[in-house]
Amino acid sequence: MQRATTLRHSETATESAAANDALSRAKQGDQTAFAELVREHQAMVYSLARNFVRDGAIAEDLAQEVFLHLFRNLAAIETPAHLKFWLRKVTGHRCIDFSRRQKSQGGKVSVSLDEAPEPVSVFDMPDSQPDWMLRSTIRRFVATLPEKPRLVVTLRYQEDLDPMEIAEVLEMPLNTVKSHLRRSLAILKEKVTRSLGSEF
Amino acid sequence: MKHFDDELKNALRREEPSADFTARLLARVAQEKEGGREPVKEGWSELASEKQNGAPNWLRKLGVVFTLPQINWVTAGAVAALLIASVIGVNRYRQHQFELQRQTEIAAEAEGQRAKEQVMFAMRIASAKLNVAQKKVKDSLQHDDDQQQAGRQQN
Repeated sequence: MQRATTLRHSETATESAAANDALSRAKQGDQTAFAELVREHQAMVYSLARNFVRDGAIAEDLAQEVFLHLFRNLAAIETPAHLKFWLRKVTGHRCIDFSRRQKSQGGKVSVSLDEAPEPVSVFDMPDSQPDWMLRSTIRRFVATLPEKPRLVVTLRYQEDLDPMEIAEVLEMPLNTVKSHLRRSLAILKEKVTRSLGSEF
Repeated sequence: MKHFDDELKNALRREEPSADFTARLLARVAQEKEGGREPVKEGWSELASEKQNGAPNWLRKLGVVFTLPQINWVTAGAVAALLIASVIGVNRYRQHQFELQRQTEIAAEAEGQRAKEQVMFAMRIASAKLNVAQKKVKDSLQHDDDQQQAGRQQN
């Protein structure tokens, strides 16, 4: 917990006074300041959801829910760094809630790696396409990982968090995070190599 | 591996939502301010975000079951009904087992009684036959004595 607090506050020194100011004003009910906070963090929240659900419209809905929830809980936010930590955490939980709701309603959020159809080979695409193809393939396979490993991988590679920070955001033991990362990377690498060829 | 890490970072890099995202959100915020709160969609995320209230995690999670809307009461009701049904079921099963055991004992006792009566009956028959045999032996001895006595008188 102390480590979480340290992390939460560690970025404070480097954060701009403007961010602090916007947070203070938003807490006092200034809607413009709240809009500034949203614009600053919307890409992070939206992308976390997008990489998890792999659907832009659903990701936007989830992101809106997260920011509405933030609006109701602004008083609890201490610093801009805490805000970032809070947003990542709430987005992660919202994504998992969504996924579980989908499952309970019979919807299929993810398929197993073996069920996922193999994408077209990179050699079949025009020269300008390989980068897009690779990116799309990786995202597709990330979306097939189970919920928690998917969140771990997304936080690691989208947000560039280290395993300790991920463990705090997801309230998960450090060793579990490391294990999820190791196994997910091995699976992803194998799948991507199999799909795109050994030249990858 | 470094290469794959870079590819993953590239694939999962941040993207902006649609251009009207903030405007739509602010409209919802304004609507909420005017018309009161929208119904909160409850879930673990609610708990995760309310770290400030100081209560232990498990207590807050337990609290949610009893404080949040009807879906949780339905769950609690279902669990209670299941528990009651289980207790009644176990009780009925035990009664049934007890009744079975009692009937088995009564049957065993009746069987014993019947066996005893059969033995007694057999003994009575044996005794009667012994009496007949004894009587015959006795009559036969008496007959011999009478013959010997008659012989002696003739002599």
